[in-house]
Amino acid sequence: MNLDSELRAALRRESPPPGFAQRVMDRIERESAQPARWWRSEWLTGRRIAAAFALVALLGTWTGHEIVARRRAEGERARENVLIALRIAGAKVRYAQEEVRQIADPTEPETERSSTP
Amino acid sequence: MTAIVSEASDSDRVMRRAAGGDAEAFRELVEEHQAMVFSIAYRFCGDRGIAEELAQDVFVQLYRSMGDIESPEHLMFWLRRVTANRCIDKARRSRLRLVPIDKVAEPPAAVQPSDPLFARALREAMAALPEAQRLVVTLRFQEELEPSEICSLLGMPINTVKSHLQRALGALRRRFVPDRGAARDAVAPRRQS
Repeated sequence: MNLDSELRAALRRESPPPGFAQRVMDRIERESAQPARWWRSEWLTGRRIAAAFALVALLGTWTGHEIVARRRAEGERARENVLIALRIAGAKVRYAQEEVRQIADPTEPETERSSTP
Repeated sequence: MTAIVSEASDSDRVMRRAAGGDAEAFRELVEEHQAMVFSIAYRFCGDRGIAEELAQDVFVQLYRSMGDIESPEHLMFWLRRVTANRCIDKARRSRLRLVPIDKVAEPPAAVQPSDPLFARALREAMAALPEAQRLVVTLRFQEELEPSEICSLLGMPINTVKSHLQRALGALRRRFVPDRGAARDAVAPRRQS
């Protein structure tokens, strides 16, 4: 017995019950008449996902800008503080120099000392 | 040669008309391919009602996807693949009731090749094979597809397809081809105890 040929004979294509094509066409017509729910839901889901992406992108951009602006402001403030500190330190150094000079040469007038802090 | 070319171009023309929304052309496509789709589904699930429902689903999906079909060959490939996938999905969802191979009726003792009763017993035995083996055997012997074509259709490695085929044919042979072991035992002289 040749099993392959027996299988080929046993597994011949069979026709579906009569009227199959008509039933398929009826079903297509029926489903086309009412807007397909799967199509609508997929379309809506797509729109929702797109809107969510847009929102996330917008929030991300805004947050990024905020962070950069805050860092820049902090940097500016720190720079100003450093400049003030340098100015104060400079004045102190100048005052100390004047004091030292006075001690070394007491005859020199005290004109510049008055201007020191 | 001329006949083949004109048949191919006819199919192509019908397909293009169907893709353009011509309902009558689509019905022609359904009538042309309904036996193939229905038979694959029927061999897989063993129930004519479920097979018809599956086949209808396939053609409804085809109607929506007609724009993607490029040629009559692509249409055949698409129909076979979608039918196979739907069968597998259906089996996963509902766990189709399978007939254990032990419950399948024994074939008549003396079977003649192409005996309708034997063909029926063969189909029943096939229905008891595991799902993947059943699908592969159906595509191989009903659709006359090569293992390489089955592997691209089902997205399985070729070795898996071949092993499914070998196991299925082995199970069917063990069932229907006379047991050589038993025959050998019958011929061999019995030992005296």
